[in-house]
Amino acid sequence: MSKNVNIHVHHVTRVEGHGNIVVNVNNGTIEKCEWQVPEAPRFFEAMVRGRHFTEVARITSRICGICSVGHTLASVKATEDALGIQISEQSHKLRTILKHAENFDSHVVHVLFLAAPDLFGVKSVFPLVPTHEPVVRTALRLKRFGHEWGSVLAGRTTHPTKVVPGGFSDLPTTKELQVLRKRFVDEVVPDFKVALEVLTSVAHKFPKFERPTEYMALHNTQEYGVYGGDQVQTIMPDGTKETYRVADYKSITNEYVSPLSTAKYCRNKMQSYMAGALARFNNHYDQLHPEAKALATALGLKPLCSNPYLNSVAQVVEIAHSVHESLRLIDEILDGGGVKDEPLVKPTRFAEGSAAVEVPRGILFHSYAYDKNGMCVNGNCIIPTNQNHANIQYDFEKLLPEMLAADKSQDDIRLAMEMLVRGYDPCISCSTHVLNVEFKQ
Amino acid sequence: MKRYLIGLGNYSMTDDSIGLRVIEHIADNRLDQGFEPLELGQDATRVLFYCEPDTELIVVVDCVRMGCAPGEVRVFRPEEVQTTKELAHFSTHEGDLLQTLEVGRRLGYVIPPLRIVGIEPQRVEPSMDLSSALQERFAEYVELCIREVLLPASTDTGPQNPVSELALR
Repeated sequence: MSKNVNIHVHHVTRVEGHGNIVVNVNNGTIEKCEWQVPEAPRFFEAMVRGRHFTEVARITSRICGICSVGHTLASVKATEDALGIQISEQSHKLRTILKHAENFDSHVVHVLFLAAPDLFGVKSVFPLVPTHEPVVRTALRLKRFGHEWGSVLAGRTTHPTKVVPGGFSDLPTTKELQVLRKRFVDEVVPDFKVALEVLTSVAHKFPKFERPTEYMALHNTQEYGVYGGDQVQTIMPDGTKETYRVADYKSITNEYVSPLSTAKYCRNKMQSYMAGALARFNNHYDQLHPEAKALATALGLKPLCSNPYLNSVAQVVEIAHSVHESLRLIDEILDGGGVKDEPLVKPTRFAEGSAAVEVPRGILFHSYAYDKNGMCVNGNCIIPTNQNHANIQYDFEKLLPEMLAADKSQDDIRLAMEMLVRGYDPCISCSTHVLNVEFKQ
Repeated sequence: MKRYLIGLGNYSMTDDSIGLRVIEHIADNRLDQGFEPLELGQDATRVLFYCEPDTELIVVVDCVRMGCAPGEVRVFRPEEVQTTKELAHFSTHEGDLLQTLEVGRRLGYVIPPLRIVGIEPQRVEPSMDLSSALQERFAEYVELCIREVLLPASTDTGPQNPVSELALR
């Protein structure tokens, strides 16, 4: 084959901070095939040092404006582990419902606003407005519901205020949960069906690509782990599973430095692993809500799936799981007499502690140490997007030769690589919101 | 009728956080009399959720590259500018308020009177601080935002109105 391919998707010039896709193929020989992540460290761990345990989650929630619920929950959970705090069953349920709200909100945006345009052959959601207006409108309604669902539990979903060490500073009322439940049934379930019909019609358009890898997710013997659980589970390409303690997160994630990235890479038993919806699905399919399982069957998604493009399909399945599992948890609280006032549980010690929760993009680890006065002396945080960088790189290294062998065009290769990165739904933490404008005269 | 003062941005990217910091300061110091301050992070689509029939005015405070000197502030309406930002569509973590509003309009959302308090950044890079140019004028931004959100909704605010002129009104 004597083919030349030059791809340089340099997102630093398009969006403030992002990964770069760099491919050079010279006369059929691959000279470069890289997923580059030029982001700088942000030193959150240093910022929490010297802070009182009641302040730490408020700071770490600022790590991300999209996953701030997840960072708050991971932070509070790790602090409670360090302080010997056992929260009530009610707090556990409410936090789980809150975690589902964030995953629902983020998955809706990713699937319907970022992944779907690829399947319809357009570059963004904008061209879909005239052609698929009801679906775009439905997607916005679902997203709004996710925002309001989270706000009922957290006070607000961006940088939440009500989740604090020991429980909730302010609990939702029984009436608020009743209204939320009614809205699930009256609004969300019908809207999701509309979105699902459209997604089902294009789900077969995801590229066919397989690369067996290791999949890592939070493990909870009682439920499909999103909030609760103090174990990590991995599943290998041959289906064998292994569990680890969250407290041993450093020896599971094994952060290392790659010349391709200023963000650290991770690995466990294999050269890389994947975190996120597909990893959760592969690890814990049996714990999905029956409605979510039925949806997976309808969409043709089965464990063990090793096509990373189908992470978006796993997110669709998780949307259904989050809706039905939250309904179940709300019913348990309401059937038990509604929300009960509870004082915050007080610390019983000041030591070290670790925790993990599942944010939309995968397993998120937080860890802290506190002195006898409750002041933080050490902190650590490992985000899922960084855990996925190495896996994306190894996907690229398998995908590119396959596409060259199939004599795909440069544009096809570029799109396939962009879609692959999008499939991981990366939260590249230096992404910014800054507007660029010029005034009309 | 409701009035919202909305901050957008990313806390970990220096001056991109200016909108969030202004809102946080107003909320922490209980300066929110007659309006509701909201931090929406990077998620500009959430602005549409506040475009309700009973919304009288939305003022968005945000970091905006508009070719001015670092720290300079301008107040403008969305229709007075055009976006030059190209999104990668890689991540749920990127956003553009102007494009979001356009999607909203095309979907039939009734966008209430909306003004943007744009603050020109000095630095947009990974760090949790604020540049000296914006730090020095922080109190001015807070004062301006409060004044803007309490002004009559129909007040015309053109692109040539820097903070010094607005202060004279």
